[in-house]
Amino acid sequence: MTRPSPRTVRRLIGLGLLVLWEAVPRLGILPALFIPPLTKTLEVLWLDHAIYWAALLVTLSEVAVAMLIACGAGILFGAVVGGVAGIRRLMLPVFSSLYAVPIVILYPVFTAWFGIGSESKIVFAGVYGFFPVMLSTAAGIRTIDEQYLLAARSMGASLPQLLARVIIPASIPTVLAGLRLGGALTIIGVVVSEMLTSADGIGYLVTKNRTTLDSPRVFAAIIVILALSVVFDIFVRAVERRTLVWQTAGRRERPSQAVPAASLPTPAAA
Amino acid sequence: MQHVADMTIFRGQALRPAVEVRGLSHVYAGRDGAVPALADIDLTVPAGKFVVIVGPSGCGKTSLLMMLAGLRAPTSGSILCDGRPIPSPDPSRVGVVFQEASLYPWLTAIDNVEFPLALKHAPRDERRSRAEAMLKLVGLEGFGGRYPHELSGGMKQRVSIARGLVQDPPVLLMDEPFAALDEQTRMTMGQELLRIWSQTSKTVVFITHSLTEAVYLADEVVVMSARPGRILDRVTVDLPRPRTYQMMATDVFGQLRERIWQQIRSAP
Repeated sequence: MTRPSPRTVRRLIGLGLLVLWEAVPRLGILPALFIPPLTKTLEVLWLDHAIYWAALLVTLSEVAVAMLIACGAGILFGAVVGGVAGIRRLMLPVFSSLYAVPIVILYPVFTAWFGIGSESKIVFAGVYGFFPVMLSTAAGIRTIDEQYLLAARSMGASLPQLLARVIIPASIPTVLAGLRLGGALTIIGVVVSEMLTSADGIGYLVTKNRTTLDSPRVFAAIIVILALSVVFDIFVRAVERRTLVWQTAGRRERPSQAVPAASLPTPAAA
Repeated sequence: MQHVADMTIFRGQALRPAVEVRGLSHVYAGRDGAVPALADIDLTVPAGKFVVIVGPSGCGKTSLLMMLAGLRAPTSGSILCDGRPIPSPDPSRVGVVFQEASLYPWLTAIDNVEFPLALKHAPRDERRSRAEAMLKLVGLEGFGGRYPHELSGGMKQRVSIARGLVQDPPVLLMDEPFAALDEQTRMTMGQELLRIWSQTSKTVVFITHSLTEAVYLADEVVVMSARPGRILDRVTVDLPRPRTYQMMATDVFGQLRERIWQQIRSAP
């Protein structure tokens, strides 16, 4: 008998949780108000799919604009802060501290400034996602191996060539890690702000149905948000796989990465 | 490529040295004011010679190499490389191989070797064929598609050497290229380097901490003092070529090694 692979075990656990979701309220272990059965939740999701679809589009458009802001500004500021020593010493401690502030406290202020429509969500989520992108870009650029730059200069690289051929490719792994975190935070930012003060979006559906104790519709909204996060994660993974092929190339096919020196062609003149 | 052709003629007639350093001093700004790093360096390396520089840590060996590569400007004195000053890096005159594999992990071995040619916007076919020829020279034919993390330490340094030689510079500078390798690989790479050197007739300036490596490789060993770095001695190694491992056990080898060690140890 062979041991099941981790992937199989993961799938079994997932399946088990779904079964529990259906069984626990049906058997009366927990009241259906706390956890409505899975089939009931899916049923209202199907019945109200037009409402959920419209809300999802609102949320998605807010997430898209907020991510553009977070990633664009994050990479730009991160590059400047990471690349220019003077600015780094001045600004990095400030940004690092700001990152630790629960920015959600600013959301009421944003609603006062930008209203309860999409604008305040976009600004809030953009700011929320900005910090990890900016900090990891700064870290990525600051921690580039000096040797890479020295070698490029010894080969006659100009400053633009240094940027395009060394600095950017060398910082891509760290920047991508930041984009992943920043993107996830942007989704969280949009949903949370929709739940707080809003008239539209998936987060709004969670709050609205909770106040009417309509548990199946709350859980239906939660399922949509989960699906959104999962799709985002799959997307980022795919981007990472494509961009970072040099970190993983050959590892899947070959158990040992380095070729033993013995397999080298023997030099004739040795 | 004109000067390369010229150089071959000059080298044949031994008319001009590959590297000529005159009255070179270097002072850098440290935490507590000016720190003299190098003082009164005069060094002539005839074309085609293998010169090894040894000296204690912090004696300015690497600073000297940086200046020979045009990566750093001396405070005073002059450097002629292939007969001309070298105010900025010029990989067609001077190739550099660094200690740690400074290969770019996001490029395959062959793309790494092509890197200097790509900077010059050389045509793609020419780049590829040059790089392939260089990989063959260093014994890595067929490994061009591998990424650096798929290569062993010795193989990475072979790729670095190929990259340093890809523009066919008359001078190759090497800053402790084998320091990070284990002893066996290091010996093999020394042997390999001598083979490559004999096949290409380059002028090599090689920095190392290992006295055994120095005597084994060099035509001449330049011994430097602690900071500020000065040249204490120049030891001619007249062991026959090709060098063999057996020579390391000979009296001549031991005496040369001992002489260099005494110089370094007794220096102030």
